[in-house]
Amino acid sequence: MDKSPGKRLTRRQFIKGAAIATALPFMPDRLPFYGSLAHAAEEADLIIAKNGSPSQLLQAAMAPLGGMGRFVKKGQRVMIKANIAWARKPEEACTNNPDLFSALIKMCYEAGAKRVAVWDHTCDNYQFTFSRSGLKEAGQKAGADVFSGHGRNVYKKVEIPRAKKLKTAEVLRDVLESDVFINFPIPKHHYATELTLGMKNLIGIVWDMEQLHKIDLHQCIADINTLRKPDLVVMDAIRILTTNGPKGPGKTEDPGEVIASTDIVAVDVYGATLFKHPKTGKPFKPSEIKFVKNGYELGLGEIDLSKVRVKKVSAT
Amino acid sequence: MNRAIPYLRRTVQALSFLFLLYLIIRTAFPLELKIPVDLYLRLDPFIGIITILTKKEVILRMLPAFGVLLFVLVFGNFFCSWFCPMGATIDFFDRILFREKKWVRGLSDQPLMRLRYGVFIFSMITGLMAWQVMYILDPISLITRTLIISFFPPAIFIYNHLLPLIHSFLPRNPFIVSAIPLPLFKVNLFIFVFFIIILVFGIIRKRFWCRYLCPLGALFSIFSRLRIFKRVVTDDCTQCQKCVKECPVGAIPERDPRGYRQQDCIACFKCLECPPHAVSFNFRLPSWKTVDGVNLSRRYVLGSLAFGFFSALMIKTNPLQTESGLRNNRLIRPPGALPEEEFVSVCSGCGECLKVCPNNALQSTLLEAGLAGLYTPRLIPRIGYCEEFCNFCGRICPTEAIRPLPIEEKRLTQIGVAHIDKTRCIAWDTEKICLVCNEQCSYHAIVGDDKKRPIVKEEKCTGCGICENKCPVDGEAAIIVYSSGVQKKLKPEPNSTQNSKS
Repeated sequence: MDKSPGKRLTRRQFIKGAAIATALPFMPDRLPFYGSLAHAAEEADLIIAKNGSPSQLLQAAMAPLGGMGRFVKKGQRVMIKANIAWARKPEEACTNNPDLFSALIKMCYEAGAKRVAVWDHTCDNYQFTFSRSGLKEAGQKAGADVFSGHGRNVYKKVEIPRAKKLKTAEVLRDVLESDVFINFPIPKHHYATELTLGMKNLIGIVWDMEQLHKIDLHQCIADINTLRKPDLVVMDAIRILTTNGPKGPGKTEDPGEVIASTDIVAVDVYGATLFKHPKTGKPFKPSEIKFVKNGYELGLGEIDLSKVRVKKVSAT
Repeated sequence: MNRAIPYLRRTVQALSFLFLLYLIIRTAFPLELKIPVDLYLRLDPFIGIITILTKKEVILRMLPAFGVLLFVLVFGNFFCSWFCPMGATIDFFDRILFREKKWVRGLSDQPLMRLRYGVFIFSMITGLMAWQVMYILDPISLITRTLIISFFPPAIFIYNHLLPLIHSFLPRNPFIVSAIPLPLFKVNLFIFVFFIIILVFGIIRKRFWCRYLCPLGALFSIFSRLRIFKRVVTDDCTQCQKCVKECPVGAIPERDPRGYRQQDCIACFKCLECPPHAVSFNFRLPSWKTVDGVNLSRRYVLGSLAFGFFSALMIKTNPLQTESGLRNNRLIRPPGALPEEEFVSVCSGCGECLKVCPNNALQSTLLEAGLAGLYTPRLIPRIGYCEEFCNFCGRICPTEAIRPLPIEEKRLTQIGVAHIDKTRCIAWDTEKICLVCNEQCSYHAIVGDDKKRPIVKEEKCTGCGICENKCPVDGEAAIIVYSSGVQKKLKPEPNSTQNSKS
C-alpha cells in the first residue's frame, strides 16, 4: 500500500495518533491491563505492574518505559538509593523486597552498567539492618556493592539552590557523582508525615537526618529532592506496611505492585492511593501529604495523575 | 638448643599478644568466631577465684581457669613469661624503652616483694566481703581493657584518616567506602596513664609489675611453690652471678645462685645460658621448702587482712555503694546485668562489652558507681543506644556479670524508662512535626497524640535509649532515659510476636 520509499506519516495515521494522544489523559484509570511485554520505546510515564513474581513485575513495569537501556548505558556507574533503614525481616515490609532488589540490580547490569552501588544511611545499626533485611546478601549475590552511609567521609556538603528551607546539606557523594541515579523506595505508613514514599526515601542520603525534623520535615523532603532528579524511580509496593510505620512491625497488605516512572511526584501520588487515610478511611489524596504538595510546588513533577500517561500492565 | 629458647620464647610471646589482639578485633559483629573471644579472661584463675568469692557460685565460663592452675603445679609460672600478653608488653618495653637504671640496683627487694602478697590477701578478704576492686590490677583484664579503651579508638582514628590516602591510589571516581564510626570512651586517658605508669616502673626493676604487684602472679606463686618441673644446678657452678643478673624476676639469690625461689621463677629459661653449663630443668618431687623466701611476717599478713576488711567496710558504708547511692537514675546497666550490688562486685572491668557493643553505647564508669563500680559498663544513650536484636554483651561477658539473655528475652528486659522533657521537645514546645523518637522506637513505646506530640508508654519502654540518641534537640536530649533501678521483664506484646513469626 505504502508507495513512498521513505516512512512518511500518512494523514490517517496522524489523525489516529492525535486522537489517542488527546484522549489518553482523560481516561487514566480506565486503561485495561496490558498483557504483552514487547515494547521498544517509551509508551507511558507511569507504569504500574501487577500479578507476577518480583522480577516479572519489574520487567513488566520497565518495558513500557523503554526498558532499562533507556536509563543505563554501557559502562555507566549506577547508584541505587534503597530502603534498608531498619533491622526488620523482609516479610515485615519495612525494607525493600530482596527479590525485587536483586532483579533491579541484575537489570542494571544487563543494560551494561559498569558497577552498581546501593546506598542507604540506615537508622538502626547498619550491620543489623543489612543482615536482618537480607538485602546485603541479595545485593551482593546480584553483583552490587551494598554500602551504608555510617561514615561522614562518604558525604559531601552541597548547596541546594532551589530549596526553600534546606539551603545546604551533607549528602551522599555518590548521589552527585554517579552516572545514573535510581530511587528505589518502599511505601509505608509513617506517623510523622502520614506516609513514607519516594521523595521521603531521599532523606536517607542526608548525613544528619534527624536535624531535618527540627527545620520543617515536609519542606526538607521536597528540598532535598531538588538536588538531583532521579533518572528512574522504582517503587516497591509488593507488600506495604499500613500501621506502625516507618519502623514497624505492623499490619501489612499485599498490593503486589511495582511502579516505575521518571516522575517522582507522580509515583508518590499513585503510591499514596494504596493507603487509606486513618480518619476518612478513603485512599490518600495528594493534597493530604504535605511533602508531595511541596514537591509539586518546587516543580519536581506532576501532582495530577490525569496529566500523566499512566499505564497498568499485568506481568503474567 | 638452649640458644634457641630465648627466640622461641619471644616468638611465643609475640604470637600470644597478637592472638589476644585478634580476639579483641573479632569481638564485634557478627560474633561468630568458634573460639570464645574472651578466651584469655576465661583462663585467668585470679578472676575465677574472685568471682566465686563475690558471687558465691561457680561460673561455668570460668572453669578453664582452674585447669591453668594444674599446669602451674607442674611448670610453675610458665604463663607469665610465655603467654601473658601483659608480660609480653612489659618485656617489650623493658627492652626498648624503660631500661633498669643503675641507681636503683641497691634497693632492697624484700619490702617490695611482700607487696603483691599484701595485694593478694587484700583482694581475697575484700572478695569474701563481696567487694572487688582488685580487678583493676588483674593483668589480663588490665591489658584487655587498655587495648580496648585506650588503643582501639586511636587505631580507628588513624585508619579513618588513611582512607582518603587509600582512595587516592584507586582509579578515578570510585565508590568510597564509609569510615568506621569512631568509638569513644570517656575514661581512655585515665586508663592510658595508668598503663604507662606500670610500664615506666621498668626503670626500677625489670618486670616490676610482675614481681611486685601482679595479683595473678601472686596466686600462681602460691601454687608454683609445689611445682615439679624445677631448676637443678650441678656442682660445676662457679658462682659467676650471670644467672642472678639475667633473671628477669630476681628469683636467684646473690649469695647462693644454686638455689632459687621456685615460686617466683617464671620458667623463661634465661639461666640456661650458664657458662659452665651447670643449670638444667628437670622433674623433681615437689617441696614447700625454698631459699631466701619472702618474709611474710604475721604482722604483715594481719595488717593486710585488717586493711582489706576495713576497706571493704568503708565501701559498704559509703553512700554511693548503698541503696541511697543506687538512686543515680542515669546509671543504666546493660540488659541482663546482675542487680547493682552484685554487678559491681562480679564485673571484672575487662571492657569486652564496650568493644562488642555495635553502637558504642556502653561506657566505662570512673566513679559514678562508686569506687566499687570502677570501670564497670554503663549505657550512655546520647553516645549510643542498645541495639534491638543484639545480645552480644551478655554473650561475651567472661564472669557473667551481664547474663547471656536470648534475643527475645533481651527485647523484653526493661533497663530504664524514657521521659519527655516537654519544655524542650520540638513537638511539645513548638508547632513543628518531629516524632523522631516515635519513628525510631523499636518497641512501639512512643505514640503520637492527635497533634503529633510524643507520649511514652511506660509499660512498653525498654530503655534502649534510641529515642534519646536520635533526638534532634541540641545538647541534652528532650527525651531522657532514666534507670528503673532493678531490671524488669516486660509482658510480651501479642502483635509483635505474631508478626515476627509470619
